[in-house]
Amino acid sequence: MSEIAFLGAIETGLLFGLVAFGIFISFRILDFPDLTVDGSFPLGAAVSASMIVAGFNPWLATALAVVAGAAAGLVTAWLNVKLKILHLLASILTMIALYSINLRIMGRPNVALLGEETLLTPLENLGLPYYWVAPLAFIVVVLVVGALLVALLKSEIGLAMRATGANPRMARAQGVSTAAMILLGMAFSNALVALAGSLFAQSQGSADVTMGVGVIVVGLASVIGGEALMSTRTILLAVVACLLGSIFYRLVIAFALNADFIGLKAQDLNLVTAVMVALAIVMPQIKANLIKNKRSAA
Amino acid sequence: MIEVSDIHVTFAQGTPVENHALRGLSIFIPEGEFVTVIGSNGAGKSTLLNAVSGEIGIDSGAIRVGDRDVTRQSTERRAGDVARVFQDPMAGTCENLTIEENLALAIKRGSSRGLGWAVRRQYKQRFQQRLKRLGLGLEQRLEDRMGLLSGGQRQAVSLLMATLQPMQILLLDEHTAALDPKTAAFVLELTREIIKEQNLTTLMVTHSMKQALEVGQRTLMLHAGQVAFDVAGDKRQGLEVKDLLALFERNAGEELADDSLLLG
Repeated sequence: MSEIAFLGAIETGLLFGLVAFGIFISFRILDFPDLTVDGSFPLGAAVSASMIVAGFNPWLATALAVVAGAAAGLVTAWLNVKLKILHLLASILTMIALYSINLRIMGRPNVALLGEETLLTPLENLGLPYYWVAPLAFIVVVLVVGALLVALLKSEIGLAMRATGANPRMARAQGVSTAAMILLGMAFSNALVALAGSLFAQSQGSADVTMGVGVIVVGLASVIGGEALMSTRTILLAVVACLLGSIFYRLVIAFALNADFIGLKAQDLNLVTAVMVALAIVMPQIKANLIKNKRSAA
Repeated sequence: MIEVSDIHVTFAQGTPVENHALRGLSIFIPEGEFVTVIGSNGAGKSTLLNAVSGEIGIDSGAIRVGDRDVTRQSTERRAGDVARVFQDPMAGTCENLTIEENLALAIKRGSSRGLGWAVRRQYKQRFQQRLKRLGLGLEQRLEDRMGLLSGGQRQAVSLLMATLQPMQILLLDEHTAALDPKTAAFVLELTREIIKEQNLTTLMVTHSMKQALEVGQRTLMLHAGQVAFDVAGDKRQGLEVKDLLALFERNAGEELADDSLLLG
């Protein structure tokens, strides 16, 4: 693997670390299987790309992308909490609606950012090799967001959120408004995913309405992969695991697609991903069975 | 104190399986009184607790807790005044959270939650003090996950959680029924001690007539969604299970068909 391919994998891994954080909140903390992310990722990209092309400050564009993502999460949570639509279905409805909304925002299927001033432009002018700029910038972003996430989950509100996902009846008995926690958590989750989408568009130089396809699977692969890689006993470890899982996933994919002897090509990406997710999910079970068999044999 | 006035609860209204669970039930419990509630399956014991805690809405009537009318309030809004221990030891605590996190959640019952640390150093000492009295060594295990504890240990912690903050009424929902006899006796004794110490107003549902007479100051029996009898003070002194049966047969005009009430 070349240095550029390696750094590219790290860069994407870091960005999807943000997606993994978001999916960790919805799937793991709130126990809310949320497919909204397939829509909120391109939403973040669409909002920031359209605004940057229209001449707005990239910071403002990114901030609004985050707000748009939070709004998308709120819609899903509201459909579930207030209208009592099954969580999975509520998120699919929002995701489908966002496809149209993203087309409306961009006015066309894709927006190119070549030559536009993005958040990365000032860093590119520092004289670093271009393939180093994005990974370095994203490390800072991911560490800051990760630290904020850990602090939030260890706060009184965060504890209430964790109880909401784990035991809603008990949470209510302790005075926690489970509805408010689901609204808040889903907004935060999709805000992070939209931030990732916004930064992805700015580093790749374009936003595309189809760029969200499969984000949920990649994010889940990162969360589950991270859990398979290391202990997630504490909140800090669980958040670190999301990030490591995301980077590990990208490195495996890059290696698999670069290794000629396996014979995989770029179009096999989604197949490889699906197989990896399935493996990561059944791995603990296989491990447990192996241990059991060993014991009964002995 | 709590006042339940003429409440009706109907499940699956307008369907063939409609169930009129509470039919004009009224109870007044003054401050500091410990009331036990018995009744056969379907008498409305659990429905009463769920109505008082806010988990289910009522069709008509009113519920006052302390000096507030909570009839239309959600569970979480009432939580500051209504504390509860569930029957299932797994239901009252969060197995994925640590012991101290569970207690930190309970210490905020009735007050608003912010962005400050959930588990603060000054809380830890208080948690350890409270856990010590259980004599289970849990004060050394603050950072252990709740899921590592046995059912009895979890139920004891549930009880501590419910009584960590002041409340108007403590609801105990057959909270020893799922435990083995020895552990059940331990949790019941702990319950009596804490209630006496903190002078708590308590509504305890039990499945055992014997238990209902042994603890508390007053005993209610529910039948078909109404109060079949209500004994307290001198009249309750010296009552035995067979006297309760006679009382029930006289008031309800039928024989009790549920053996489990007698066996407990």
